[in-house]
Amino acid sequence: MAERSVVHDTIVTERTYDRDPSLVFDAWRDPATKREWFAEGEGWRVEEYRLDFRVGGREHGRFRQGNGVEIRNETVYLDIVPDRRIVMAYTMTVDGAIISASLGTVEFEAVGAGTRLIYTEQGAFFDGAEGPSSRKQGWRGLLESLAEML
Amino acid sequence: MLDQSAVDRVFHALGDPTRRAIVEQLSRAPKSAKDLTEPLHISLAAVVQHLQVLEESGLIRTTKIGRVRTCQIEPAGLRVAQQWIEKRRSLWERRLDRLGAVLAAERK
Repeated sequence: MAERSVVHDTIVTERTYDRDPSLVFDAWRDPATKREWFAEGEGWRVEEYRLDFRVGGREHGRFRQGNGVEIRNETVYLDIVPDRRIVMAYTMTVDGAIISASLGTVEFEAVGAGTRLIYTEQGAFFDGAEGPSSRKQGWRGLLESLAEML
Repeated sequence: MLDQSAVDRVFHALGDPTRRAIVEQLSRAPKSAKDLTEPLHISLAAVVQHLQVLEESGLIRTTKIGRVRTCQIEPAGLRVAQQWIEKRRSLWERRLDRLGAVLAAERK
């Protein structure tokens, strides 16, 4: 890919879970649990996963898709407020080529007995590789109206 | 694996507001072509044309009993659209759904 470009985009994703914030936060803090939902489940082979969850600590993931393509995830934790907030910076590379560099903020809000989780990603997406489109939610409205019909 | 031409046909069919209105009508209950003319305020000929596109896309199926052609939703057709969209949902959307599944499984 000869093209050199940067697209900036912000993605906001929300979920409400019926567990209290400390339990939801634990799923981000504990390496085994984090690995389970963050690294596993995409159908990628997890070749390496390490999480050092503290300010200044790093998270490193190396994955292999079925077609042999290698994906790497490098994260550094910038701010951690237990049960309230996590701020991290991370890059993604595909076969050694960096495709994005992002600031990710996770907010945990107590809602009744549950937790509203808000994930905001402010990213720079490079060289047209995948672009922000695959992380975007433009199709969300359509998906929801389809879900209603189904 | 998703059949790309099937995906093309489904989204082409759903790209038209009148055809989406037909899908909405039929998702409530099966109807005849004639029944569809009234809520949509279009001619029977126009309805029949749209139904043909919808049927070719696999979104609906029609059955003729006597002189009446009844149209109904074919759920498999909408599933094609849903699967295509699902594949394009963001990595984080999928991750946060898995986080929900992990939290639910932890519940004792």
